[in-house]
Amino acid sequence: MPGMINHLSPLLVVLLLLAGLLAVPAPAPQGVAQGAAPPVVALKVLHLDMSAPETGFDPVLTSDLNTAAIEQQLFESLLTYDYLARPVRLVPRLAARMPEVTQQGRHWLFHLKQGVWFAPDPVFGGTRRELTAQDVVYTLMRFMDPKNRSPYRFLLEGKILGLDERARQAQLTGHFDYDTPVAGLQVPDRYTLAITLKTTDYNFGHAMAQPMMGVVAREVIEAYAADTAAHPVGTGPYRLAHWIRSAHIVLERNPNFRRELWDFQAGSDPQDQALVQAMRGKRIPQIDQVDIQVVEEPQSAWLGFGKGELDVLGLSGQFAPLALEGDQLKPALAARGIHLWRMSDPSIAYYFINQQDPVLGGMTPEKIGLRRALLMAQNDTEMIQVVHKGQALRATYPIPPGVAGADPNYVSLLDYNPPLANQLLDRLGFRRGPDGFRRQPDGSALVVRYTTSLSSQDRELDEMMKKALDRLAIRFESEKLKFPEILKAERQCQIQFRLSAWIADYPDGDNFMQLWYGPHTHENNAACYQDAEWDRLYAQTLTLPDGPARSALYHQLARLLEINGVTKISTTHIRNVLSQPWVVGFKPHPILPSVWSYMDVEPGAVSAP
Amino acid sequence: MSLWRFLLRRLWQMIPTLLGVVLLVFVLFNWVGGDPAYLLAGKMASPQALANIRHQLGTDLPLWQQLLRFVQQIVTLDFGNSWATQEPVLQIFRTRLGPSLTLLLPMLLLETLLAVGIALLVAAFRGSWLDRSLMVVSTVMMSISLLVYIIVGQYVLAFLWGWFPVKGWSEHWSHNLTTYAVLPILMGLMVSVAPSVRLYRTFILDEINQDYVRTARARGLGEGRVLLVHVLRNAAIPIVTNVLMGLPGLLTGAFLLERFFAIPGIGREIILAVERSDFPLIKAATISVALATLLTNLLGDLLYRWLDPRVHLD
Repeated sequence: MPGMINHLSPLLVVLLLLAGLLAVPAPAPQGVAQGAAPPVVALKVLHLDMSAPETGFDPVLTSDLNTAAIEQQLFESLLTYDYLARPVRLVPRLAARMPEVTQQGRHWLFHLKQGVWFAPDPVFGGTRRELTAQDVVYTLMRFMDPKNRSPYRFLLEGKILGLDERARQAQLTGHFDYDTPVAGLQVPDRYTLAITLKTTDYNFGHAMAQPMMGVVAREVIEAYAADTAAHPVGTGPYRLAHWIRSAHIVLERNPNFRRELWDFQAGSDPQDQALVQAMRGKRIPQIDQVDIQVVEEPQSAWLGFGKGELDVLGLSGQFAPLALEGDQLKPALAARGIHLWRMSDPSIAYYFINQQDPVLGGMTPEKIGLRRALLMAQNDTEMIQVVHKGQALRATYPIPPGVAGADPNYVSLLDYNPPLANQLLDRLGFRRGPDGFRRQPDGSALVVRYTTSLSSQDRELDEMMKKALDRLAIRFESEKLKFPEILKAERQCQIQFRLSAWIADYPDGDNFMQLWYGPHTHENNAACYQDAEWDRLYAQTLTLPDGPARSALYHQLARLLEINGVTKISTTHIRNVLSQPWVVGFKPHPILPSVWSYMDVEPGAVSAP
Repeated sequence: MSLWRFLLRRLWQMIPTLLGVVLLVFVLFNWVGGDPAYLLAGKMASPQALANIRHQLGTDLPLWQQLLRFVQQIVTLDFGNSWATQEPVLQIFRTRLGPSLTLLLPMLLLETLLAVGIALLVAAFRGSWLDRSLMVVSTVMMSISLLVYIIVGQYVLAFLWGWFPVKGWSEHWSHNLTTYAVLPILMGLMVSVAPSVRLYRTFILDEINQDYVRTARARGLGEGRVLLVHVLRNAAIPIVTNVLMGLPGLLTGAFLLERFFAIPGIGREIILAVERSDFPLIKAATISVALATLLTNLLGDLLYRWLDPRVHLD
């Protein structure tokens, strides 16, 4: 049967779905019987979907956003982000207050909340188990244990005094010593943790706010060592109640969760003010159960939302035209009380050109000019319409809006300008041959290889690039690779030209600027850009907190990337989220992968048992 | 040749075939399968982290050692854990095969019954308007992609008319079979019945003009008995062959149906494993299908003998 999968006219799908969704009467809220019988007041359940299967619930082992969203509710990190504040702001979570940062960002002193209990588990022998600073130390150590091969090891690697040495020792002996204290992780008392870093790092607080930094209990991990991913025991507002792997996850209130009241501040945004009015003073969490289904196909999720089976829906790009008119919700959906949340993601899509490539790399004026011409031929406005269906914003700066260090007023040198690009090529000696295509100044052939994945969206990227190169009369060659192969080729500096993307791990400019740092070649500096001046300036930024001095350096770095024809920032993705009328207190967060414990569903909309 | 000697000989012959499959899978994975370390390492992995992952997965071992380990896994039927989720591979098969079979077994059964029934009907009325129109309908049905059936069926039958859930799955087999699996089965049948009808019609028509059928009719047997007992029995060998050919496919699930209807089946897992270069799962799936194919071929030979005593096992 899979052999019969052919192509379906997108028009047919769009017409069918649009006609239907708008024509169908609004569904009754979840669990409310249609008829005279009064609704049964029982559990408040939030119904959600995930676009990809979870990968288990041991935070140190996982890296995908869907899993992180669940872990955010099961486990707690020392810090987190304020629910409503924009730009986002760090606030305490397990910490009683914000850490005391001294010695120019090298020493971080955390005081933990008291009375934070792990969810009940047989491992605790029927007694309540309180979280202590030693649990945090154990959790941090796990990231560096080679046995765990943690995808987020980089958040701690090379940072905490003595921890790398402990990891190296484990690599040699095959055993990570969790019992001997590490110099940089000191526990003066049960509720205090002093972390000493090797060098200045003002972003360490962001690392401590990541969902994968959720604190675990050592005895739980050791008891379930064979399958830690299936036994998540944390201190978060929810615990795992039911799990069909890759299909269905149900979270329920953690009975040991401490008493916390909803007390976020609104600012001047009227939507936030209404939200605060609806939620202030309520105990966290309000929702009894979070019911999550893995729904990989956007059509299934879209129809499920239309039928009222899902309460919140992240609108995929292909369905945006069905729900939106410009940047507004279609009137038929708005009339049903459905709410649209629209925000730009803390992400960038950016072109990069391999600086070590034999054809395009190098720092001669010809090579730099060729790269700049290639980047100036890219029509990003057209890309937004064709590829992103209008759900992206033109971006020019390596740091996206909402992230510390962003510069919304930055004017790019590499804006779309084919005439200028052609003039540049003419002047540098890239003459057209008898076949009409340009050749290199030495007369040899000039072919630009553009790498994309096998997805259908990437076929559109190929077409966009072909058009761009046609504007310059440069031969186009498409290289199609599977995603892991692309990653491998990038790390080996074998990609010539590609449109890549990056979404913030933490909302600071450093998370973006490091993409071009020389020592990160063969890691995630896919352009393989190695420039002593650039690296020197970047190293300076690491010693500075967010502020005008660091922003000025970032500005220089961004300009150097353009002048040398290394990269061009293309777009920032727009996130559209729909919520049903009975969902209360919801506002998507640019960094937090889930905010379910801050939400509510209206009393009339609870599910019957 | 005795049955036991035949069985032993066929089982013995399976070994080199299986070794060929093992070698092919191994070479293909190492040639085009990609390096899973890049996916597992996360966004910002150092070369040391990549080396550590390769060491733990054993992908840094010499190829002959990796191949030997692969053979050991087959012999012990222990394929280890998924590289992506660390879930034991056998557990993945144990928990995901059930949902897939809940879809595919009823689909195979219904497809066979419907296709044989319709094929007998149209063969009995060969050349009539019923025969011609059903053949046209079959051609049209098999020309439409399963994807179209799913998208339209899910939209019209589940969303618009509300006859079925749009998607979902529970832990209760009977509830799944009667609620969540009905629409996917229906959509699967839309594409699978039509080609079988055309095929079985041909098999039946080949038999219906044989002398023994004419003789049976001359002896005054009813048309129903002629068709169901005499014709069907003799047409059974190619029909059984076709059904058996579909059996190994049960192990690989129905990817599209599982994906669209959010069914936690093995088809979805296998596609995910390919995307993630999750070699333990790919190895287990490939070897299972190869083994199932060999065994169903053997079963087919035994059934031929049972259906037609003139067939010799040699």
